[in-house]
Parts: sequence; C-alpha cells; structure tokens
Amino acid sequence: MLIKQKIQVLLSVFLIAALLVACAPRAATESAAPTTAPDTSGAPPATESAVEGPTEAPAAETATLNILVEGGGHSLQQAIADKFEAETGNTVNFIEVPYQDVHDKLLAEIAAGGSSYDVATIDVIWIPEFAAAAEPLDDLFTDEVKNDLFPALVNDAQFEGRFVGMPTWANAEILFYQKSLFEDPDEQAAFKEEYGYDLKVPTNWQEFTDAAVFFTRDTDGDGNIDLYGTDVKGGVETEWLATVLQAGSPGVALDADGNVIIDNQAHVDALKFYTDLHCTYNVSPPNVNELDWNASQQLFFEGKLAMMRFWAHNYRFIPDDSVVKGNTGVAPMIAGPGGVGAIPGPWYNIIPSTAQNKELAKQFIQFAYENNALGLDAPLGLAARISAYDSYANKEGFEHFNPLIDTLNAPQTIGRPLVTTWNEITNDVLIPLVQQALTCQVPAEEVLADAKAQIEALK
Amino acid sequence: MERSSRTFVILLTIPAALFFLVFFTYPVLLLVYNSLFDVSLLALQNRKFVGLENYADILTSAQTIKLFSQTLQFTAITLGSEFILGFIAALTFNAIGRKSEVLRTMFLFPLMVAPIVAGLLWRFMLIDNFGILNHILTGLGLIQRTADIAWLSNPKIVLLSVALPDIWLTTCFVTLILYTGLQNIPGEIMEAARIDGANALQTFWSITVPLLRPVIAAVIILRGIDAARTFDSIWIMTGGGPMGRSEVLSLRIYLTMIRFGRFGDASALATVFLVVLLILCLIAFYTIWKPDISKR
Amino acid sequence: MKNKHFIHRVLIAAALVILALYIFPYLYMVLTSFKPPNDVLSIPPTFLPKQFDLKNYLQIGDYAYIPKTFLNSLVIALLSSTFTLILAVPAAYAVTRFNTRYGRVFLVGTLVARMIPYISVAVPLFFIMKNFKLIDNYIAVAIGHMTISLPLAIWLLSSFFEGIPVELEEAARVDGCARFEAFLKVIVPISLGGIAVTAIFSFLASWNDFLFSLLLTSTNTKTAPLAIAEFNSQYGTVWGTMTALATLFSLPVIFVSFFLQRRIVAGATMGAIKG
Repeated sequence: MLIKQKIQVLLSVFLIAALLVACAPRAATESAAPTTAPDTSGAPPATESAVEGPTEAPAAETATLNILVEGGGHSLQQAIADKFEAETGNTVNFIEVPYQDVHDKLLAEIAAGGSSYDVATIDVIWIPEFAAAAEPLDDLFTDEVKNDLFPALVNDAQFEGRFVGMPTWANAEILFYQKSLFEDPDEQAAFKEEYGYDLKVPTNWQEFTDAAVFFTRDTDGDGNIDLYGTDVKGGVETEWLATVLQAGSPGVALDADGNVIIDNQAHVDALKFYTDLHCTYNVSPPNVNELDWNASQQLFFEGKLAMMRFWAHNYRFIPDDSVVKGNTGVAPMIAGPGGVGAIPGPWYNIIPSTAQNKELAKQFIQFAYENNALGLDAPLGLAARISAYDSYANKEGFEHFNPLIDTLNAPQTIGRPLVTTWNEITNDVLIPLVQQALTCQVPAEEVLADAKAQIEALK
Repeated sequence: MERSSRTFVILLTIPAALFFLVFFTYPVLLLVYNSLFDVSLLALQNRKFVGLENYADILTSAQTIKLFSQTLQFTAITLGSEFILGFIAALTFNAIGRKSEVLRTMFLFPLMVAPIVAGLLWRFMLIDNFGILNHILTGLGLIQRTADIAWLSNPKIVLLSVALPDIWLTTCFVTLILYTGLQNIPGEIMEAARIDGANALQTFWSITVPLLRPVIAAVIILRGIDAARTFDSIWIMTGGGPMGRSEVLSLRIYLTMIRFGRFGDASALATVFLVVLLILCLIAFYTIWKPDISKR
Repeated sequence: MKNKHFIHRVLIAAALVILALYIFPYLYMVLTSFKPPNDVLSIPPTFLPKQFDLKNYLQIGDYAYIPKTFLNSLVIALLSSTFTLILAVPAAYAVTRFNTRYGRVFLVGTLVARMIPYISVAVPLFFIMKNFKLIDNYIAVAIGHMTISLPLAIWLLSSFFEGIPVELEEAARVDGCARFEAFLKVIVPISLGGIAVTAIFSFLASWNDFLFSLLLTSTNTKTAPLAIAEFNSQYGTVWGTMTALATLFSLPVIFVSFFLQRRIVAGATMGAIKG
C-alpha cells in the first residue's frame, strides 16, 4: 500500500507539473517565430562607408545581436563586442559551439528558417555553401578596405560575383621548434658531423627531414623514444594540403577551373614526403591516426617534439608551466620544391539571410573590421588586416607575426577550392586518403588514383 | 456486445492511432517522397525530380556495402557480447538465488545512463595519452605500453571500441531478462536432469537453452533493432572515423543531411535503412519467435 | 554441505566482481568530476582524486546557458511522458481487453513502429516541423520523443493490463458502471504501478534522447545532452566540466530509479517476457 501511495503522489506531481508547463507562456515560440522582418538590408547610400555612429534604424531602441562562433572566434571578437556595446548601447551575445557545429547548426538554422543568429563567423571553406543564403556585403568592400587585406582573403570573400563575408582573421601554419635544441652548440657540432652542413632552422624539405631524424632519440636510456623530430598528423588533412602547395601544385585537389588534379605529380611528391616522415624515418609518435590538432599541440607543449608545423596562433597558447615556454622559436613554413606554401585559414563574418537584425549585423561587421587590431590582444591573437599585423609585428610576445606574414604572402599560399562539396571531399576522400597512406602499405600513386575517382564520383 | 465493444476499442485508441498516423505514417511517406528528389537542405524549395536516381546511386556505391557491413558488424558484436556476458551474469545470479536481489538492483543502474553520457565516459577511458583503460592494462601486464592499443584510431578495432558503451549499457538488461527466464524454469526439471546424471554443461545446452528460446528470441530481436539504430554513443566517440570505419547507417544519414546538405540522398538512404530493418525483423520474427509461440 | 557453502561464497564473490567491473566506468566518471581541473588529464591517469575539488562544478557557472538546457530537458521530458501516458493507457487497455480484429491490427502497427530507425523518422520530422515553423519549440521535440516512447509504452502497458483479471471490471459493470467508468475508476487505480513504470521509461526515453534534440532544437530549447556534447570541441575538450555536467545529468534519473527499483525491474522484464 505504501508503494502504491508513493506512486500515486509521483504521478499526480508529474501530471500537474506537465500541465503547468504546457500552459505556461511559451518563451520558445516567440523566438522561433520566423522573421519575415521588414527587410532593411537594402544598402545605405555609398557615402556612408566610414560609419562612426549608429545609422537611423536601431538608434532609438537597443537590440541583442546574436553571433554564432567557435572558441577562437569568440575570443578574438570579445574585445570588439565589448567596445561595440559601449558605443552603441546594443547587446552582443556570442553563441559558442565546437568547430563542426558552426557549420551544422548554421545549416540547420537556415534550413529551418530560424533567426537565432544575426552574424555567423565561419571558416572560409564554407563560404560557397552559405553564399546563396548570406546577405551581400559589397558596399563594405571599398578600395581602401581591400588594400588592407591579404589578397587571398579578398578573393575568398566573394562567391559568384558578390562579396558575402568580411574577413575577421587570417591564419596559416608556420614552423615551431625548440630553441634549446637548435641553438645548443653540442647539437650543432654533432649535426654538422653527421650531415655535413650547419644545423639551422629548416627552410626546406630536406633540412626538415634531416633535423627530424637527428632529433628523434631516446633521451633517458630506457629503450623508449622520448623525443620525436616532429609529428605526422593523420587526423586532419590541411597540413598535407599545405605540403601539396609546397610541392608546387597550382591548387589542392581541384584547380581553379574545377578539374580534379589530386593525382598530379605535386600531390604524389607531397604525399610521399608527408608519409615518409612516419613510414620511412619514424620521426613521429606512431599513433599517427590519432594525431589531430589537439593531440599534436599537447605533445609539443610536453616537450616531446623537436619541431611542429602548426597554426600560428598557437604561439600565444603555450601554457606557463609547459617545458617549452620561453623556449619556442617560430619560423615561416618550410618550402618544398615549389617554394613556401601554406593553406590560409581565414574566417569570415557573414549575415545569414534569415537573420533578425540585419542592419545591426552589418554595422557590427563594419565595426569589427575597423577595430580588427583589437583581436590581437586576445589569447588567439590574430587579425585580418595587414596594417593590424604590421603594427604588432615587432612587439615582444608576437614573434610569430613576421613568420605568419611571410607565409601568408608566399605565392604558393593558395586558398582551398571554393566548391560546395568541399566538406564531403574532406570527410570522405582527403582524410581517409591521408590515413590510408599512413598505414605505409599502399603506394602514394595508388591512393591518389583512388581519390581522384572518388572525387569525380562526387561532382 | 461485439459491436459496441468494437466502438469502445476504436474510441479509446483513436488518440494513439492518430498520433501514429500523423507522426509515423505521414513522415515515412514524406521520407519516401523526398527521396525521389535532388534537393539541398539549404534550398528546400528548389527541388528537382529525379525519380529513383538517388536509390540507384546508393545501390551502386561501394560505400553502401561498407556501411551495411559495418552496421551489421556493430550489431553482431554488440548483441553477441551482451548475450555472452549477460548469460554469465544471469547464471551467476541465478545460482546465488534469492540473495542476489540487492546485487541485481545495483547491476541494473547503467540502464538509466544516457547513451551520450556512456559514449563520453568510454571515450574518456579509451582515448590515447590519458585514457585509463590502457594504463590499467599496462599495469596488469597485458600490454606493454599504453600506446599499444589505439582504441579510437585503429581502423581495425574501432568498431569494437564504439560497441563498448552500448554493451555496457544494455548487458544489465539482457542479464535481467535471462535471469527472470531462468527463474521461471521449474525446479523439478533441473532436479530431474541432475538425477539422470547430466552435468552442468549438458543441462545447460539440452535443457536451459531450449526452454529459454522464446526469451532469447525476444531479446535478440529487440536488442538487435536497438543496436542497429545506434547513433548517440558512436557520434560522440568517433564521429564515424577513422576513415569512416565506425560509421553506421544512422550516422551516415545524419551526415548526409546536415554535413553535406543533401536532403534527397539522406531521405533515400533512410528509406533503404527502414525497409531493410523491417524485412530483417519480419524474417527474424517468423523464424525464431513465432514458431515457439505457436508451439506453446 | 561444506562444498555447497563454499561454492555459494565463490559465486557471491564472482557476482561482486562482475558488479564492481560494471559500475567502474560510471564511478570513474563521477570521481573525475571531483578532481581539480588540472588533474583531470594527468598522465598517468589516476582513479581517485588527489584532492576533492568542486571547481569543475563551479566552472559550470561560467556557461550561463547551461541551467536553461537542464530546464528544457525537464520540461520536454514531462510533456512527452505525460502525453504518452494519456495516449497509451486507454489504447493499451482497449486492445488487450477486447479481442477485436482492429485491436490486433493496432498492436501490430505498434510493433512495426517500434522497429523503425529513429533517424528515418527524425529526418522527415525536421521537414514537417520546419514547415510549421515549430523548430526550436518544445512541442516539436516532445513529439519527436513521443515517437520513441509511445510504442514502448503501449507495449509495456499491454503486458501489464493482461495480468489484471477480467472479473474486476465485470464486477464493476454488474454494479452499473459504464465501460469507460469501469476503466477509470477500477482498472487505472489498480494499475498505477504499471503506469508509473511506463511513466519512468517514457521520461527516460525523452531525458536521455540526443538525436531528436539535435535535429529539432536550436538555441532556445537546447537540451542538456546537447550542451554536454558541445564540450567536445576542437581545441581541447574540457573534460573536467564535462564529467561534472554528465554526473549532474544522470543523477536525477538514478535517484528516481533507486526509489522505484523493484517496479522498474518488474516492468523491464514484463515487457520482454510476456510479449
């Protein structure tokens, strides 16, 4: 009987609670209501390029601007948002999600016609996909603006003739290394003896391989290797793509006309170089398929890698208690037979067509451009404007900027193909091919021939 | 009496029946309808009728075989492990008898854990560098170094790794069902067998298992369906990698829809999945379940 | 005699070992949530926290949106389980009590519904909800969850009702009750146990769901499982806070089940055996 009574009470509580909730004012419906808001996205007259204060529209009432970002984008734009809030009285709300979720959630939101996001900070590779559903930003791209941005960034901001995104920051992989290893006279002597030339920070493939082999060693005599020359990442594809550009390929996977070039000689050479480091020279921690950005970063911070190729922002992320703090050197990305090459990884602010506060969004994006340098003090510390980088390039603690600028300016630093199927190509072809090549059991030519067939099937 | 009964039944079931119609039948029909189009998620209004082309793509793609094979392997690993482990546990509890009630209750509790949480905590235990499982295995001397088994990045074993949360979650359920079944076997039969001189193994195979067949059949079908539909735990553990070797059908369908935006293709694959699963269920139902019911 | 006693002890020990191994993963997660944030990722990993630290839980406060997600999960779970019961109880009763052909068809239909892959329902459901502008609305998600719990509920309740002797209603009918009255006043009170179990399973199905929430919510109705999964980010998973959240998330469920465990066991077995 006691149990029965207990259950009766529980059930009644259930029902009452549910009814109360069901009848309660639904906050959800209000914001989910579709916004066929009065479309104020018509561009204001061209003379308004230098926006200082708010325009007529949202001046009187304050609104909340919702920005979809991932961690990096959040930290870089927080200072900008704070200043924006102070100057205009509006509220900026960041919705931070993991990397892939930026794409997935934006897609789902636009598909559902929802207005949860006024601005979205997206990776350049998604621009083609979202271009049709993004508000045009042509009026923001004056000559003055274009001149202060790296050329690749301006190129990638457009799709099919319209400017759809404003760059917020640019990034590229550069070379990180442990200074103590390269500057140590004993190491230098030993290296010279073994290889016949002076030990220096690698600038090309051969020097990179030699240094990696040289530094892979068992430092405490227990039979296990404690220091690796570098890491070979099998969890991500961009680093191999950078290698492809270093090999001299005019593009990665596809050329400018959309032809599949993934099996050209440059790709083959690049794949061989990339995988030889692991398969032939064993300079990397062996669990290559688990090495993604996270894992590699961790290894370097623990002092287990002599060198690492990584995104430039990482320089400012070195934890204070890491063994490589104060000991990390940076240099431009290495050159292959085709020169220095890297994959630029810019991010752009776009305005989804389903946004609620389009005018305010545009204001914010313009404001963000003008205050682009504010992002440099953030932990991620990156910017999009050349002038911003120049102003910090020789400051202490920003030693990575010159290498980054050099890398970004290199002729073989080319953006990824702007096709809507890039997500799929990455997921289904590029990453698997890298991982397959890293099993060391299939020749590069074969892997790439397969990849070509797969990409052609996708188109 | 018959007439008014029927009205009563109809009236009482109308709300539920309506729900089924509107939120099962209609969506499934819509799914099939959408699968006949080439339509992108971002532009749902620009649809192009392509008939059965999406299905042709699916049926001729090498990836489809890989998908089905992986889903099947996953289901087999999960079901098999649950059964073996569940049986061992059930037999143990059964042998203990009444006193095992407390233990059994505690044993039940992973049933309450969300699959997403289970996936997360197993990922935490299996991940390289700081996953505790490899450290335990190294400590026990079963492997030499913690990097020896790459649970989440070795394509050959990743299916097993993503099966672990599922096995962990539902073994207790299988144990419970089998235990109840075991308890329902009349003691006299076991006595008779013992008197006849059968040892434990013989008793098990010739008496216990046949008597439990209806229960076993039910569990296979129910758990088999659930295993085939898994999404949450695999999603959070590997997202389908490495090299797509831990992708099962639900995952692929989700990716096709949200990551690649191909709504028509996703609908087609989902339809194929549905049809295949239903057919398999019907086959299983008629071969291993019904015969027992009619025998009773 | 002594032999039997010894075997018995061994069996109990074996059972305890099985139990310990089984609970270990969950315990590990809970203990990890109480470690100081920096120790969570220590190499080599430790089982017990060196120091008991609540920082991971406190850090949850840094994420202002999280309490709302828990509330959303609760609301949706209450909604969906309630409506599941409202639909399932009469239906299950009707088809088990009266042997009509329609009833049998209904049961078969329920069975078929049980076998449909969730993704195959969720994909078109997204489409439907989008057209009705109901994405990111409690109703949409609750309906999605009901597609999981309704077949289950009908199944469970049918087994349960079959166990109630017919004489009870007949006695009520003799006393002059109409059929529906007999149902409400006699049967339902007696079957509260079974109904409670069904309610719990329905609540669980919704509370623990991830897929439907993933597809049908955006920012306003995001549920707790989604929030937990989002900590899995590219530049580092915040494991400490994530384990803390996961622990908090699973606590209510364990709490409830602890109180009603006997009923749950009965319900769980009933579903499979009787069917």
